[in-house]
Amino acid sequence: MLNGDKKTILLVDDNHLVLEIMDRALSREGFKCFKADSALKGINLLKQQLPDIILSDYEMPEMNGFEFREHLMKDTSLKHIPFIFLTSMTDTSLMARGYELEAVDYILKETPVPVVVSKITNLLHAVSLQHQQSIKELSSVAQALNLRSVPQEAPKLKGFVINFWHKPYQDYPGGDFVDFIVVNPRYTCVILGDVMGKRWGAWFFSFSFLSYIRAAVRLCVFEGEFSTAAILNKINRVVMHDPVLNEVLSTLSMMMIDVEEQSINYAGAGDLPVLYYKKEDESLTTIKSTGLLLGIFEDGSYTENTLKLNSGDELMLITDGIIDFEDKQGKITDYNRFPDTIGHLLGTENSFDRIMKHSFIINKSIEQIDDCSIIHIRKESIL
Amino acid sequence: MILKTKEEDGVIIAEIQIKEANLVLAEQFKKELLDLINMGKNHIVLDFRNVEYVDSSFLGSMVSSLKMAIANKSDMAVIHLNKDIEDLFNLTRLNKVFNIYPNKRMAVMAANKF
Repeated sequence: MLNGDKKTILLVDDNHLVLEIMDRALSREGFKCFKADSALKGINLLKQQLPDIILSDYEMPEMNGFEFREHLMKDTSLKHIPFIFLTSMTDTSLMARGYELEAVDYILKETPVPVVVSKITNLLHAVSLQHQQSIKELSSVAQALNLRSVPQEAPKLKGFVINFWHKPYQDYPGGDFVDFIVVNPRYTCVILGDVMGKRWGAWFFSFSFLSYIRAAVRLCVFEGEFSTAAILNKINRVVMHDPVLNEVLSTLSMMMIDVEEQSINYAGAGDLPVLYYKKEDESLTTIKSTGLLLGIFEDGSYTENTLKLNSGDELMLITDGIIDFEDKQGKITDYNRFPDTIGHLLGTENSFDRIMKHSFIINKSIEQIDDCSIIHIRKESIL
Repeated sequence: MILKTKEEDGVIIAEIQIKEANLVLAEQFKKELLDLINMGKNHIVLDFRNVEYVDSSFLGSMVSSLKMAIANKSDMAVIHLNKDIEDLFNLTRLNKVFNIYPNKRMAVMAANKF
């Protein structure tokens, strides 16, 4: 199991023997422990990693357990981490003060390890249930407001088969957004974007971006402008002047599909290269866009490519969750791993379904470390 | 503190002291960087020697700090990117946004030419 899947515990105790015993016992039960022999060292560790729970001794030199807890309470990113006092003190007045500091529980050091483990497990389970409930409530509100950053299905177009896959980070709605804007019977605009950040913050801003993108696409088309580079340029200028979005950045891949010409016009803003499979010579290459992330500079250097696909050719647009991986050494970014792993499936019958069933995607669903999205377009014969 | 800073020839070298630059640390990183910018430091070089992985939230913090730096007439460069991170900068065109140098000497030299 990777560290990322394990629940993590920060153990703070000035007694190295206690730290070692607790670490061994809890590690054996599948927890990943970080040890600090003082509250100050604990505070430093918290700057690098947020644990699922903190177990701290009360009596420690320099900063005692209460002072440590008080320090954490002042920090909004730390105050919500469940905190347990692990102590030999049984004084009820001390315990009362601990509860005032919203310490979730006390565990006496003499408590048998299996009981400690079950206390921690129960607590984490309760926290997780509460979490899920909150997400459920927020999601139902979002649904009631018809707020979706990903459509329910892709449009059916003459000569093009479009499929997509989206998996939010840890099942939170996130910063990736997908849209298919059927502008008129001739043109359909395919959108894949990624607002930088994760979870609710990114999810909220993804709607602001999507609204601008939808408006810009419609307005440009009304004026007879179908160039994706020109549309991106307009979106970028609007985003630059919006104080709310001033500090928010987004990638964007935009493809305008023309069913009359059977062509695709593509421009991108800081997006990852598009994978391009050519049936004729069974080659797999990438198409790189030139534009900068939306919202950085007034001039985003957007240019476009017009692609004339032949029957059986395939395109894949992806977001960065697809290229992030975690192994025993830690996290890495590797763009080539995706095409290297699934490239042989392109050009086969039902290639998208096969890719979705490939262990790469199945593992991504389980071990992902960011939102993951793919849009797949296959050119079909129109005869 | 995420950044360990020192000044050399009028350039602030800010060493990022974390291995995994992610969402959790992005806000704190941005705050420290903005403090440097608000102190009127005109040339800032971010040293990535300790960083093995950067996520998009952290990149977002870097870019929005850069925008602030530009508004304050400061410049920002990055050095010692590992291969994966440099690839990510190239893939997302952030190589066109940040000045990337292999080492401190080159970055300090370039800063003093401005």
